[in-house]
Formats: sequence, C-alpha cells, structure tokens
Amino acid sequence: MARIPDLAALSKALRSPVTFSVLSGVVIGALFLIGTGADPLAAYGAVIAGSLGAEGIGSTLSTGTSVLGMALALAVPLRAGLINLGGDGQLVLGGIAAAVTGLYSPLPAPLTVVLALLAGMAAGAAYAALAALCENHFGVPLLVSSLLLSYPAASLASYLVRYPLKEPGSSLPQTRRLPEGVALPAFGSSTVTVGLLLVVLAAAAYWFTDSRTAIGYEIRMTGLNSRFTAYAGVERKGLTLRLMATSGALAGLVGAIGVLSFPYRFLDGALTAPGYTWTGLTAALLAAAAPLGTVLASFFFAVLQVGGLSMERTTEVPRELTQVLQAIVIVFLAARLRFPRRRKSTDREPVAQGEFA
Amino acid sequence: MTRQPSDRSAGTAEVPAEGLSTSEGPSAVEPGDAPAHAPAAVELRGITKRFPGTLANDAVDLTVRHGEIHALMGENGAGKSTLMSVLYGMERPDAGSIRIDGREVSFSDPGDAMAAGLGMVHQGFKLFESLTVAENVVYAAEPRRFGLVDRAAARRRVRELAEEHGLIVAPDAGVGDLPVGLRQRVEILKLLHRGARTLILDEPTAVLTPAEADALFAVLKSLAAQGRTVILVTHKLREVLEVSDNVTVLRDGRVAARLRTAETTADEIAAAMTGRAVELDRVHPPGTPGDVVLDVSGLSAGDAVRDVDLTVRAGEIVGIAGVAGNGQSELIEALAGLRPVTSGRVTLSGQDITHASAADRRTAGLSYVPEDRHAVGTAPAASVADNLAMGHHRTALSSRRGLLPPTAARAHARRLVERFGIKASTPEVPASALSGGNLQKLLIGRELAHDAPLLLVEQPTRGVDIGAIQNIHDELIAYRDAGHAVLLVSAELSEIHGLADRVLVMYEGRVGVTYAKDEADERTLGLAMAGGTAQQPQAATQDGDGD
Repeated sequence: MARIPDLAALSKALRSPVTFSVLSGVVIGALFLIGTGADPLAAYGAVIAGSLGAEGIGSTLSTGTSVLGMALALAVPLRAGLINLGGDGQLVLGGIAAAVTGLYSPLPAPLTVVLALLAGMAAGAAYAALAALCENHFGVPLLVSSLLLSYPAASLASYLVRYPLKEPGSSLPQTRRLPEGVALPAFGSSTVTVGLLLVVLAAAAYWFTDSRTAIGYEIRMTGLNSRFTAYAGVERKGLTLRLMATSGALAGLVGAIGVLSFPYRFLDGALTAPGYTWTGLTAALLAAAAPLGTVLASFFFAVLQVGGLSMERTTEVPRELTQVLQAIVIVFLAARLRFPRRRKSTDREPVAQGEFA
Repeated sequence: MTRQPSDRSAGTAEVPAEGLSTSEGPSAVEPGDAPAHAPAAVELRGITKRFPGTLANDAVDLTVRHGEIHALMGENGAGKSTLMSVLYGMERPDAGSIRIDGREVSFSDPGDAMAAGLGMVHQGFKLFESLTVAENVVYAAEPRRFGLVDRAAARRRVRELAEEHGLIVAPDAGVGDLPVGLRQRVEILKLLHRGARTLILDEPTAVLTPAEADALFAVLKSLAAQGRTVILVTHKLREVLEVSDNVTVLRDGRVAARLRTAETTADEIAAAMTGRAVELDRVHPPGTPGDVVLDVSGLSAGDAVRDVDLTVRAGEIVGIAGVAGNGQSELIEALAGLRPVTSGRVTLSGQDITHASAADRRTAGLSYVPEDRHAVGTAPAASVADNLAMGHHRTALSSRRGLLPPTAARAHARRLVERFGIKASTPEVPASALSGGNLQKLLIGRELAHDAPLLLVEQPTRGVDIGAIQNIHDELIAYRDAGHAVLLVSAELSEIHGLADRVLVMYEGRVGVTYAKDEADERTLGLAMAGGTAQQPQAATQDGDGD
C-alpha cells in the first residue's frame, strides 16, 4: 500500500519542470557537442568522472561548500520573495573581516578561528542589513540597494589588501598568510574543511526553520502573498531586516570559510572570481528556495563547475560547455516547461479530443 | 400564458410556433420590427462541454429572441460561464450547434463571434487604464484618416453613441480615473461601436452600487427596446426579476428551468438554482447588546475617512452600508491597522489601539474578514492547512519557543474544515482549488475561530452561492449571539438589512445617520447612500441610544 503514494510522488517529481529543464539541458548540450565533432558520451563521462571520481570529489565538495553557502544566503530572503543581489559584497566583507581577525586576534588559534567566523558573519550581516534599511526607510528597492552596495564593499576590500593590509614584499594584492593554526581543520589531506560541515548545518537549520517553526511559516506565506501576511499582522519591514541580516551572515560565513581555508589569506578577487554568488542565486532560484532542493541544486552546479574543468583537460571540450548547460537549464526553467501528464483514467479521453480539436 | 415547458428541446421546426406564442403574451418583450416568426437572435441546441472530471454543459438548449433581455442564472459552477464561452468562441463545444439569426455558425475565436454581431462584457473589464475613454472604445476598430487614427472622429463617435444610448461618459477622461460603473459603460460603448447586436454581460452588477445597477438596467432596457438583444449572466435574483423578460436557470450543467420573468418569483428561481427550497433574505431577530467593545471617535484616515464616530457593542452586529468607494474599505483598513490613522481615537475593549500595529490589534482582540479573498485574505497558492493556520500560528498552534509542528497545523485544519463545512478533499490541496463559497467559508471559519471580541467583516457573501450565503449568515448571527461584536460592511442592502442590529450609512468618508433595525429598510438606506440623509430627525436619538 505504501508504495503507491511513493510512486505517485516519484512520477510527480519526474514530471516537474526542474527535471525537464535539467534533461533538456543535457540533451541540447549533447547536440552542441555533436555539432562540434566531440563525443557527448565521452564529454559527459569526463564531467562525471572528473567531479565525482576519487580525484575530483574533494574539489567538488569544497566548491560545493561555497556554492551551497551562497545558495542558502540567497534562498533565505528569496523564500519570502526578496532578492538579495549583494552577495558578492557581503561575501567579500565577510572574508576581509575574517582575515583581519585572523591576523590580529591575540587569542589562541582555535578561538581565533571561531572569532574570525563570527566576525565574517557579523560583517556580512551588517552590510546586508544596510541594504534592508535602505528599502525600509528610504524606499530604495532591495534589488537595487543590495546590488549597488555590493560594489563599494568589493572596492573597499580591494583597497585594504593593496595598501594597509598588503603583505610586505609581495607583488600580489593580498594579505599576509594567517598565523599557523588559524585555519579550518581539513578532512585528511583534502581541501574539504569543516566549512562544509558548517554549511550543511546551516542548510539543516534552514530546513528546520522553514518547515517546523512559526517564523518559517510566516516567511513562506510572505513569499506566496505578502499582502496576506501583512493583513495577519506580520511586520514586513522587520522581516526584511531579519532575513537580509541572516542572508548577509551566511554570505559572510562563506567569505570567512574561504579565507580560513587554502590559501589562508585574503587575495583580492579570489572569493568573487568563481562566481559563487551567481551560481548560488541560480541554485536557489532553481529550487524556488526550498531547503532540500537548494542543497541538491547546489551540488548539481558544483558537479558541473568542477567536472567542466576536468572535461576540458581530458577531452578538449571547453569547460564553457557546462556554462551553456547551466544557461539552458535556467532558460527552460524560466519557461516552466514540463513533461505532459500521461492520461490515465478513461473519462479524460474525450477531453483530450476536445483540446486538440 | 403558462410557463414554458422545460422539455422544449425538439428541433428548430418548433421555434417559430414558440416565437408566436411568446409575442402574444403580456410580457415586456418588444420584438420590434422583427416578425414573430423570425429566427431567434441566439439559439443553442444540445451544447455539451466536458472538462477533466466535470461535465460543465450537458445538452443545454438556450433560445434568445431579438429585443429580449434574457437572464442566464445558476450558482457558481452551474455551467453559465462555460455556456457563454462556447457561444463567444472561447471554447469549442464537444457537441451541439449554435445558430445566430437562424444561420448555423462555428466560431473558432471571439473575433468570429464579434463578426457575427455578438459582444461580451467580461466580469473583469478588459480596458487600457492609461488610455482615454475614446481610445478604449475605438480600439481595434479605429476610424482612420490618411491611414492614421482619426482622434476627432473617435471622440465624435463616442459622444454620439453615448448620447444615443444614454451612456454618458466623457470621451477624454482617462479610464484609470473612472469608477467601475463608468468603466462598464465604456465596455458597453466598445461593443456598440463595433456594431454588436447581441450583448452578453457576465455578472455586470457584481461591482456596482444599487444606483449604478439601476442606471445599467435602464440602459439595457433601452437597448432592448431598440431591438438589440441582451444576455445577462448573473446569480442575483433581484436584478433578474427587475430587468429580464425570460430566465433560463442552469444547475449542474443542465437546464433546470425556463421561466417567464413576469410569471415567476424569486423563490421559484432560487429553488431551481439550488434544487431545494431556500429561504431568501431572512431578517434575523435582533441581538442583545452588552458593553461597548469598539469605540471610534473622530477617526480620520487621509481623505477617505473623515471624522467617523461609531460604537459596536458585544452581542451586536453594526452594518455599514454605502456605495462602494465612500470610504468603507479605508475605514475597515484603518481599524485593522493596515492604514495609518491621521486623527481620532479607537479603543477596543477599553484599550487604546489608535496607532497599534495590525499584530497588536489582533492580540487585543480583533479578527478580520477582508473584502478581497484572493489578494488579501488568503495565499491561494498555499495549502488549505497553511491558510487556516494564519493568525493561529503564533498562538494556539505554536508550542513553546515558536515551534510550529506540521501535525498541529493539519489537525487544526481538519477541525475547522469539519466545523465550518469547508469542502476540501484534504487539507493539503491549495486554497486556489476551492470554490468561491468554500474559500469564503475557510476565511470566515479561520477568523471566527479566534473567538476575538470584535470581528470586522467585509462583503461576506460576495460571489458566494445562495446555499453558502445562508450558512455564512447563520455563522455570523451565532457569533454575535455568543456575545461578540461584529462590524459588517456590505454592498448588499438585503444582507445589511437581514443581519445588522443597527445600520450606519457611509457617504463621502463620513458616517451620517444611525438607523435602528426596524427603520433600515432598503429604500431608506438607498436614499441615504446617495447622500440624501438630512431628513432623518431621529438620527440623533438613535445615535444616543447606541452609545
């Protein structure tokens, strides 16, 4: 008996626009590959082997840490219908705050690590809250305030690592290396750190809040109809402020994790160059900010990102193909296409005729 | 004349004979110049239309003669809209035929229907709000000069049409600035401009005030007198009795009755619509008022609400009547904390809530059923359970520390679904899947379940079936009798008259006279709603009684 609903749920999941978009992306990507004379099976094989094989899994997980972190940062406000476009700025400020704390904290190394993480979160949270205040008090749309505030933050960090915080004698715009021991513990010899654990814990907390708490319920309902929650007494400005602060804290956490992992310093542009903010936003949008979906989508994009590099190395197919895949998935998703429902019951047959007549 | 038998479904050969018999009758039908045996303006035969899981129209016949105002009635989901969609080329019937002026036609889209002389005014108007009246009227059929739109001719044309049909509206006014009653005129002018001979109006009075509705009826009668044909899709009995010549009632996709208006009664139509005898317009006995729960003095909110004084006591329903747009919605929003108060004082159970937030007002003992069920009162995409939890999620449902167990929300939903007879297959279905009446039951049930001392309720039965209306009225009366205060805003005078213990009329943002239950008849209220209140000397004493 219990199997039947499972099957129904499975069929529903398979017919969802997400499945359709992902599969369409894969198929159209294959056509591109054939068009350029490459073997799609070999190329996709290289993506899978390069990202999930013994060689690549570590890289996938460390990339996944950042992608998932940023995806969560953007999903939290998105659940209430708010879009935080300032992820880069919050990420960078989190990184620089963690670097400064790591370099100058007088505390023992383990405590400094904790302090650096908290400092990164606080910096990101404060900066994102600023964007929320701009909307709440000056009527600047959040989309605009968060995006525009992002640029001065990145410039400030850039200035700091070029002048006051610059490593003496280095030609690169970077800080000194953090002191010995001021780093997130890594798993074995891999690049995967405790940061992954922190981000996964954040995802779990997000899931719990979303499905099991009153505030999570208010956030979900606000995303579905903000006039409805306002009518019921949910205070919109306060909610915006809290969600943005949480969002910024998560982005700052990703920045701090980035600094407290290899290469253990703040290097200008290193946090933003891989585009975690945008990959994360894409993942959150793909999942409509649902907690579990956000985790899955983040992992999917981490696989594409890492696997694409490996594919380029082994098959001469440029890694841009994986970006094409990403783009196709998003375009299809935006169009909300889905597999047609199979007609089961007989009473629906005449309808089909009517529809196509 | 006897009522026409409802099994009149035979072939077209019978039609001329029927036409003849009708024209002999004493009805208001004016066939004009058309000979009695002329083919009908619209003739639907055996229209059948299926949708997944429902048979929306089952072999429906409908004959509408030239110059007739024909009412098509039925509850929500009876198949009225489907039938009109078929007639207007928006849906293809699975079976059946359509004849216009005796010629068999097959429409593949509304353009075909318009070309055949049909025109439809949809419930949600289809107008460009940023354009002028004239521009809207001539849209897609513009008078041209040298290949360009001739604006002067367009304005002239609109003025001529408006004068000819008594549909006065300024050609240069922006449609966005017009009240709904005038927008509807623009819609009708649009159809007349395109030469529509048969006008279909879908629930035309849903958004109109009594005065606007009367004006509309006068226009429809004059159009019919000129030989145009009107099909009025509605579920309002009063207007059908007032304006139509014949009535076709649909129930569950079939024709339940064909009646001549002059020979039928509201009860007979209601019984045909619901399939059982219905007690219409019941006037409930008055309640027994206790202490003052809501005390409003000198309340102003922007320009919309001006210096309003009112009180509502426990065990009392106070009704606010008024033409839509005279500040009722704004007053309720100000009381609910959704609109800033500019001056005045509001106390709820002795507590000053003049500037309290919406949340604090709810804590102080207020619940609220808003006018717009879809945009404000619910989140249609959310489940029934989620919609029922709103407002209870911080109190009854959440345990310590803000946890909201999904099981608690589901159990709560099941209780309310049971208690208020909400028809939902499971609490997990989205609220958008519920019918209008069921969605309203959900909303009212959720708000009544707060057991708050004060209930604000706006338009509780707008767009709700007759059967559900009775149910909702009974719930409101039971809530009052349990010792709660209710402030009711309704555009339905019969509703105000039936439920309210005292009636206030709002006009241009002010509350004028208070009427006791026995003096609040529809005529008096209708007059006051149009601003003619001054001649009520007993007003002061009534107000004094009320406080």
